[in-house]
Amino acid sequence: MVFTEKIIDPRELRHVEGKIELYWIYTSGEAGDYFFKKLRDEGKFTAAKCKKCGYIFFPPRIYCEFDFSETEYVEVSGEGCVVAYAVAYYDKNGEKLEKPEIYALIEMDGTNGRIIHLLGEVEPEDVCIGMKVKPVLKPKEEREGKITDILYFKPA
Amino acid sequence: MMVEKVKGIKYHKKQDVAIVGAGMTIFRRRLNETGKELSYYAVKQALEEAGLDISDIDMVVMGSAPDAFDGVHMKGEYLLDGAGASNKPYVRVFVGGGTGVFAPIAGYWHVASGLADVCLVVCEEKMSSSHPHPQSAFKYIWDPILDRPLKPNLIWIFALEMRRYMHVHNIKHEDIALVSVKNKANALDHPAAQLAAKITVEDVLNSEPMALPVRRLDVSPPSDGAAAIVMVAPHIARQLTDEPVWVTGVGWSLDTTWWTNRDLYFPRYVAEAAKMAYKMAHITDPRKEIDVAEPYDPFDYKELHHMEGLGLAKKGEAPILTREGVTARDGDLPVCPSGGLLGVGNPIAASLGVKVAEIYWQLAYRAGKRQVAKEVTTGVAQAWGDLMQVGTVVVLSNKR
Ligand SMILES: [Zn+2]
Repeated sequence: MVFTEKIIDPRELRHVEGKIELYWIYTSGEAGDYFFKKLRDEGKFTAAKCKKCGYIFFPPRIYCEFDFSETEYVEVSGEGCVVAYAVAYYDKNGEKLEKPEIYALIEMDGTNGRIIHLLGEVEPEDVCIGMKVKPVLKPKEEREGKITDILYFKPA
Repeated sequence: MMVEKVKGIKYHKKQDVAIVGAGMTIFRRRLNETGKELSYYAVKQALEEAGLDISDIDMVVMGSAPDAFDGVHMKGEYLLDGAGASNKPYVRVFVGGGTGVFAPIAGYWHVASGLADVCLVVCEEKMSSSHPHPQSAFKYIWDPILDRPLKPNLIWIFALEMRRYMHVHNIKHEDIALVSVKNKANALDHPAAQLAAKITVEDVLNSEPMALPVRRLDVSPPSDGAAAIVMVAPHIARQLTDEPVWVTGVGWSLDTTWWTNRDLYFPRYVAEAAKMAYKMAHITDPRKEIDVAEPYDPFDYKELHHMEGLGLAKKGEAPILTREGVTARDGDLPVCPSGGLLGVGNPIAASLGVKVAEIYWQLAYRAGKRQVAKEVTTGVAQAWGDLMQVGTVVVLSNKR
């Protein structure tokens, strides 16, 4: 083999094929359980406030990441404002999307936290930083207690 | 500066290292908590025992085994906030099953080097996320050309190793089963235990065959859990406690991946790691100088195998010591007084909680109902992993 030689198809070489066949069932944990059940059953949003420093985490956590104190759940509106956004033309596998999708980083009202989610009912050219948005949920009977129970955020 | 030669490596130590607190979650087959939440609970307990706050921590070491268990690539980074490491120097270390004792070794060098005065060591494993079975993740540690096409299961190679050990020393399964009986009974006194039980040698011998000679009750269970210890410099230790437990020796060693080319009856990787740790700890006769031991016991024969690797028994002698009660909690050399992995559970890296943390609790006289009968000064903890390859050893002492 020399440096200039390029093998395009690895199957031209003596080879053995292998596959890593695993799948996972993730638990959403204590805080996750609380958050997603509230979202699924009541369509409500929950954050968690540090009992010591007052920092409000969204999504909620059982502990404060900064001082390791406990937190308490607080209800929030689920509304927020766009602090950054990207307009995606390709999907996660590098396939061209039929229609560009807008991914936004959303600062959640009444909290110190942000989440990433899709924007909908808005064209990319009309999105701006600082835009107020509110969540659009799946109908209750279709909700599963997952982040995708939120379909997207739309201009408020 | 203290200068010492260990295994041909010039070893410069800036300061001694003490353990001043430890914590662990319960070990269970499945837990609802995320890995971050488990880490948090273990850290919280360790900090409370040490009398420290998260803001007192200079650096954090995370130990966690394959990403394939939790199902998060780069899970060290994923677990970071639960380990209290946000915006701190943080590193994840990983040598398979040896990680639970290797992470404290990494914590040791953080403090011994003088880089940190207070280092938090956290170990986490959430095996239950992995499907079809946590065992499935192990299929991919094999050589993909030579071994994997034959579809081996990890228990097969342990069966080979156990058979070889039994054959060379003419050991009966009955003698090996005594380890499982002892450890599961010891675990009855451990509040975190998953598989504590009063069982008999007959129960082990009649349990379901997995890959003979290995039967169901020869094996530890997969578990979820987390554990943590706090390692500090002497001037910090003095402020916190009158009775710190010192890390007097650390050692680690890996043998070749060509495991088929080794004689499996003796764990050379453990012997080499022990040699390094004992030299550092000035231990010349481990059988006499070690008061209590926590060798890695994912299988019952492994405790015996590792006792011999650690020089706590001559080759082939560990089953005799076990039969004579020497390794019982009230014996002359208590081994796995925690209940070990066989009794408390085996969340790979989080076995820190029943290895290094248990020896710390024993030497600090904080082991409660598990406290061994004899007076203790020096103890050893050991783990083992990768492709039956790595030995990791930590020697602790309540005398500096
Ligand atoms: Zn806080």
